Amino acid sequence: MSAALPIPVIQLLQVLTVALGAPGVTGLIAKVEARLQGRRGPRVLQPYYDLAKLARKEALAPEHASWFFLAAPLLAVAAYLTIPLLIPVLTTYGLPLGYMGDILGGGFLLSLASFVVATAAAETGSPYAQLGSSRAKTFSAITEPVVLFVVFTVALLTGTDLPYALAATVRSGAGQVIRPAHLLASAALFMVILHETGRIPVETHTGTNEFGMIEEARSFEHSGPYFALLKWGSELKQLILFTILADVFLAPWGLASTQRLGAVLLAIVALLAKACAIGVVVAVIDDSFAKLRLFKITEYASAAFLLAVLGVFTLYLGGG
Amino acid sequence: MALLAIGGTTPLQPPVQAPGVYQGTANVIAALMLLLEFGMLRQALVRDQVRLYAAQSALISVLAIVIAADRNLPDLYALAALSAALKVVAVPLVLRRLLGAPASEDAPGVAGSYTLNPASAVLASIGLAAFGFFAFGAFHIHGPAAPALALAIAGAMVFVSFGLMIVRRDVASQAVGFFTLENAISLAALVVAAGLPLIFETAFLFDLLVAVVVFGMLIRAHHGRAESLSTADLTRLRG
Repeated sequence: MSAALPIPVIQLLQVLTVALGAPGVTGLIAKVEARLQGRRGPRVLQPYYDLAKLARKEALAPEHASWFFLAAPLLAVAAYLTIPLLIPVLTTYGLPLGYMGDILGGGFLLSLASFVVATAAAETGSPYAQLGSSRAKTFSAITEPVVLFVVFTVALLTGTDLPYALAATVRSGAGQVIRPAHLLASAALFMVILHETGRIPVETHTGTNEFGMIEEARSFEHSGPYFALLKWGSELKQLILFTILADVFLAPWGLASTQRLGAVLLAIVALLAKACAIGVVVAVIDDSFAKLRLFKITEYASAAFLLAVLGVFTLYLGGG
Repeated sequence: MALLAIGGTTPLQPPVQAPGVYQGTANVIAALMLLLEFGMLRQALVRDQVRLYAAQSALISVLAIVIAADRNLPDLYALAALSAALKVVAVPLVLRRLLGAPASEDAPGVAGSYTLNPASAVLASIGLAAFGFFAFGAFHIHGPAAPALALAIAGAMVFVSFGLMIVRRDVASQAVGFFTLENAISLAALVVAAGLPLIFETAFLFDLLVAVVVFGMLIRAHHGRAESLSTADLTRLRG
């Protein structure tokens, strides 16, 4: 019989799981991807070593950059670490701070983080970092309608826009899973996540091909601990998006329904396993499709938009 | 466990009830068919369009089996088998044979036959689909066996297949668009009148064969005359 954990500890564990698990998930994806390409690939723990190494290095800033250049990585990581409080990471029941914000609140925090990083990149005066930030902003404006329609679908399905409510609805029966609205919204969200984590359609996240870089280009001028924070931030963002997909849309099973230590530990393992499973799927998709040309991104976004819009349509006649 | 809304004390009631597994399955299949229709709209190669058409036809056979199992209509198993033989195997085979000669050359006028760019074509077709969807939804055909949603999706498919014929300027895509129109009508017929005698359903199915032959001849004649599959070349014939 395991002991019951106090609620604040569980809430803290939600943040810690995401914070500490994120580099590992990234490492696993890199490993799987390398294997698929016939390489041995880096160690799964490599991202942790990278972060530790960068944290020990000297930090430099461009001559005319203001204080914001150095504040931005901190702000971004703070925003990313707030989101695990709002979404179901480990528990089926809402934790006290879980109702601070709804899905839109989480979306705002993601956008805020991306905005401060883009602004810091624009601060530097380096044309390449600026190119990255302007591209990132342009394309996020294109995928924004898709996210909004996914939120509408969630709202129509549950009557709220709380992630906890959708997860509970999905768990309530097979009829809630095999319905077009849910499947279409999940597929649209998955496409957005592929785009947001820089897999498909144009970006190469490993970042050696300059033409294919969008988000990776933004951190060019940062160095040392600040660069480590930016890297950690993008790993956090990836795990947060995977968590939303797994624990809210696709598989909200394996979460703790009590405060028992055993259940919470099981939930931590389940979350990381689900994230790794999604990561493997993402790596397979990433390796099996050719990258598109940059301006073809609208076609990709329009396909995701189609799925999301159909999801909302199907709900209107009561059968979706 | 009842989930409480913020500030409220009543358990949450989802405003849209889940439709149940059978209706859900039927609706999901219908939605997939509509997505394949959009896929055909975006596909650049005729070969891929034909493949998607075969997939769409396979889905309608699956739907027939689901309905037959759920409502105990053994006739529909026969219809599913017949429809699969005809639309998944025979029609795509004939189409590939017909297009074999033109498509193996560089097939001018097929790959770039969009009158709109693909993203705009999809957005315009979403508009068409919305119109068809809500127009059919306004009929209010409800029943225990007829998922209103699947019917509305069939309506949307009719409009999107018209859209496909309009935005593509090549005979091959237009033929595929026309054949999917028949799929849309079959979907509506299956959903609304699953109990229709087998002989009627089969008769509708064989109408398709006539259409295939007619379109085949048109494609052949057009290619023989214009050395292209594009209908853009026909404008020269204007007096």
